[in-house]
Amino acid sequence: MGPDGVPGPAVPWRKVLWECQAFPDNYVDQRFLEELRRNEGIRQYRYWAVVREAGFVGEQLSCVAIFITLWLYMEQSLLFPETLLWTSLVCALLGYGLHRALPAPVESGCEPRTRLADLQSAAIFLSFTFGFSPVLKTLTESVSTDTVYAMSAVMLLAHLVSFPYAQPSPPGSFSLNAALFASVCLASRLPGALHTFAMLTCALLVFALWPCLLQRLRGSAPSQFAGVCVGVCVAGVAGLGSQWPGGAVLLALALGSVTLLCPLLLVRLQRHKDNIQGPWDEAEIHEDLGHFGH
Amino acid sequence: MEDETFTDINGKAISLDCQSHSSLCREFTVSVPKVSIGKVLVFTCSVWLLAYAVFFFTENTAVLSSAIFVTLVGMMLYIHFVKVDHESLIVIHSLGIQLSSSFASGRETTSFIEMSKIKDIVINEAIYMHQIIYYLCVLLKDPSEPDAVSSVVPLFQSSKPRLNCLVKVYKSCQEILSKC
Amino acid sequence: MVLKVFFPQCCNRADSGLLVGRWISGHDSAVVLAVVHYPFIPGQVKQYVQQMKAQSGGELSVLGSWSLPKDGQEGMESFLRDLSTIFPQERWLQINRQLGKTGFTCQVLQRDQNGKVIQRETKKKVEGGDEEEEEEEEKVIFVHYEQKKVMFSQLHPLENGVPDPKTDPPSELRQMFQSVAGSAPLFFLDRYDDGPLKSTHWQSDGREASILVELLKQASVPLCMLLGWLLSIWTWISNARVFSLFPLRFLSSKLSTCVQLSHRTEHMRTLSSAKPAAGHTHFIRKANMVVSFLVDVSLGMLLIWWLYRDDHISMLANTLVPAADHVAKELEELLQWLMGAPAGLKMNRALDQVLGRFFLYHIHLWISYIHLMSPFIEGILWYGGLSACFGLTFALSLLSDMVALLTFHIYCFYVYGARLYCLKIYGLSSLWRLFRGKKWNVLRQRVDSCSYDLDQLFIGTLLFTVLLFLLPTTALYYLVFTLLRLVVVLFQGVIHLSVDFINSFPLFAVGLRLTRSHRLAEGVKFRVLCEEPGTALHLLMEINPLKCSTVVQNYRTPTYSCYPKDSWAALIKKLFVGELIYPWRHKTTKTD
Repeated sequence: MGPDGVPGPAVPWRKVLWECQAFPDNYVDQRFLEELRRNEGIRQYRYWAVVREAGFVGEQLSCVAIFITLWLYMEQSLLFPETLLWTSLVCALLGYGLHRALPAPVESGCEPRTRLADLQSAAIFLSFTFGFSPVLKTLTESVSTDTVYAMSAVMLLAHLVSFPYAQPSPPGSFSLNAALFASVCLASRLPGALHTFAMLTCALLVFALWPCLLQRLRGSAPSQFAGVCVGVCVAGVAGLGSQWPGGAVLLALALGSVTLLCPLLLVRLQRHKDNIQGPWDEAEIHEDLGHFGH
Repeated sequence: MEDETFTDINGKAISLDCQSHSSLCREFTVSVPKVSIGKVLVFTCSVWLLAYAVFFFTENTAVLSSAIFVTLVGMMLYIHFVKVDHESLIVIHSLGIQLSSSFASGRETTSFIEMSKIKDIVINEAIYMHQIIYYLCVLLKDPSEPDAVSSVVPLFQSSKPRLNCLVKVYKSCQEILSKC
Repeated sequence: MVLKVFFPQCCNRADSGLLVGRWISGHDSAVVLAVVHYPFIPGQVKQYVQQMKAQSGGELSVLGSWSLPKDGQEGMESFLRDLSTIFPQERWLQINRQLGKTGFTCQVLQRDQNGKVIQRETKKKVEGGDEEEEEEEEKVIFVHYEQKKVMFSQLHPLENGVPDPKTDPPSELRQMFQSVAGSAPLFFLDRYDDGPLKSTHWQSDGREASILVELLKQASVPLCMLLGWLLSIWTWISNARVFSLFPLRFLSSKLSTCVQLSHRTEHMRTLSSAKPAAGHTHFIRKANMVVSFLVDVSLGMLLIWWLYRDDHISMLANTLVPAADHVAKELEELLQWLMGAPAGLKMNRALDQVLGRFFLYHIHLWISYIHLMSPFIEGILWYGGLSACFGLTFALSLLSDMVALLTFHIYCFYVYGARLYCLKIYGLSSLWRLFRGKKWNVLRQRVDSCSYDLDQLFIGTLLFTVLLFLLPTTALYYLVFTLLRLVVVLFQGVIHLSVDFINSFPLFAVGLRLTRSHRLAEGVKFRVLCEEPGTALHLLMEINPLKCSTVVQNYRTPTYSCYPKDSWAALIKKLFVGELIYPWRHKTTKTD
């Protein structure tokens, strides 16, 4: 069906610019729309798969809620710092054991961390936090409570927004830093230096180590991962509910919308997608230049 | 020579006086209207009223005396440094061009450009605020390269006459300069 | 062709005779320098001109004739024309002036190679207006000049030293000025001398004054030698090894008295050099130095007279110690205020207390130091006051140094505050990069992204939080002490400026400009003189004096303040970042 096969009286039009042809510059023939492509490379989402992925967002939201709950308990002295410390220790040990037990994702060029390095890191965390906790305690003394709360809220929000949900291990610098900043602000409002220390340790567990463990879990055991997510969500809602029922309702609504409603919307709106591509697009340079080699 | 009426770029009337001392020397004087008494009154009144208003609230008589002082000094500075009364241009054949501007107070600044430094006199265009104006300027030679123009000395800088006036001056300047 | 004749005003009414002067090469112009009066023997005139030529070193010739017929002197015309054969010239000017008329008439006799006289004349009838011959004629412009002023004036812009052969030859006016100035020997012939020749030109009226000047010149030679000898001793002392040891040299470069001393030594060295001034600029510079030195010393003497008259010294000393005490007390109060909650600011109380106590202890030390010093202050002032006999600038420099020493505590506070603040700012800026997961790449001079370890992130954030919350406290202390420091620096700066002003202000040149404005010429200006129709164009050349600002700019003695300084923006940036500021300039030679 090429123009060569149809011998016409006139010279057929060719889509080239280097020849002088008897057509106006903006001339196109009927073959123009043949190259139109719609929705190229589209991925069809399935609802439950999307829900499962969105569950991770809800889980992070709940983590923040759990942290706030713990802080609320600490502030009202319902929870003793010693208790929290011991619990954290136990959790950390359990988590560490789980972390070692799970198969590490294969990474090239990077040696797995030794136990000594882990121990060193832990020692640095503990010693610095312990050393700094009296300083942190007096740090925000003169700053008004509202300012501190506002700052922590903004920082926690920044943590949630900038959290790298697709690749949470190692956690993104900014999200982790924002979360730590918020927890330092919050911890400095607690009554004693040991409280501050316990709170910071807890923040470290929740914001830095827990996403690492979860990521490894997601890689090796996806079904357990979903269960853990649900568990964390339920724990977050329940924990917040014990201190602040209104907040718990809000959290539950937010979780529901994030994990159930938004994926539904995404799947529903999928079929309205109409994306056309054709020869009029600007040229794309594909990076796979390897096939030019042979 | 008869005095036509000329205006400057803002439309104010100026007068051009051409005097031909001999066939070799010509003098052009552009006179700007004097300071209008109304303007002075408005300026003085506004400063004094302001001073009086301040005095009314602060009840400090130093304000009034300082206002008088400010107006006097301001006027003196204005007529001595800002207000140009007339600008003149003397073209002397084979000797040079002399530009002078005299201020309202009688102060006069003069500069003389020797003929050996002068390349030409031309009318040029320039963007001035939001308009394009014409001005007369002397092109100076570059001592190292005889064909190049090293700098430009604009003429009638403060009176800024319009093109018709400039053309008249230009023509009679060229008459003298081209004589050999 | 247009001929320009520069004619001295003093010869306007001279008796008839010969015009002596020179032609300016390359231009069609003649400079008339003098008129030799009528009863003369041509041979003597020739001899005289030759003699003058040898003395002045420039070209000099008989240009033509001048006639101003008095009553009963008729028929000079042809005689004067015949003179041109006696004085063979390429062109022979014949200038006439009628008594009672202002205008001159001029005839030019041109002589070609064969010795044949071709006459072209410009004869403009005074009475009539018949100018039918004008197309053929050579036109003449008379430029009248005042011989004295032109002779003594110096045309700016100066060519530094010898004129550059590369640039084109000096302009017509400059040549004219040079030829008038160069023919000074011609003007020695007195009007009342009983010589064979009589001439009219400018004559100096003040012979006596010039004798005085000559005597002074003679006297200055031994004075300069004495000065040079003293200077060599002084240089020997100051070059001694002891003074080049590290702390002394550093100190002397910072003490303004020492700096002033070195400036004065430099000036004296310039003055005492045996060589005469190389050019006009150099001469004026030297004269400026002498005048400013004299003014400086006389002001210093005035100060000494005031200081030692009514025991002002002890009065000063008695007020100085309480003043220092008072400043210390004020500072103490300021610190107490800072240690509370100043202006309702949210400061970190613990750090605030620590800093406050630290500074309070410093003030305590300072007060005890002052009290230890107090018995000696009067003596120090007494001997320091004597330094004013070297000049007011020395006294001022000493005052500046004393202020610097007396406000040393403020300087210390400032340095502590600035260092602390600087540390914080740098720490915060690098930790903020860490906070965002970036780092500064030194090799590429840019910010790169970087993946940090967990423990690095944790400690960085912890430190960042701590520094961020402690910043306002430090910044407040820094701000307050910087303001105090700025006050001191401002005071010292004003003193330095005034010292600098006395050192570098070209008093002699400005005085010359004010009293003899023609001596420093920016250029010339012309005025059209006579308006009689039919006569040649007469212009009056006046000297356009240099602007005062240009005088100051050209002739100021170069000192350290002439060099480019830090801009205000750079200063503010320095203040913001917490770098130290000093009243003196940093030697920026460390960069290499």
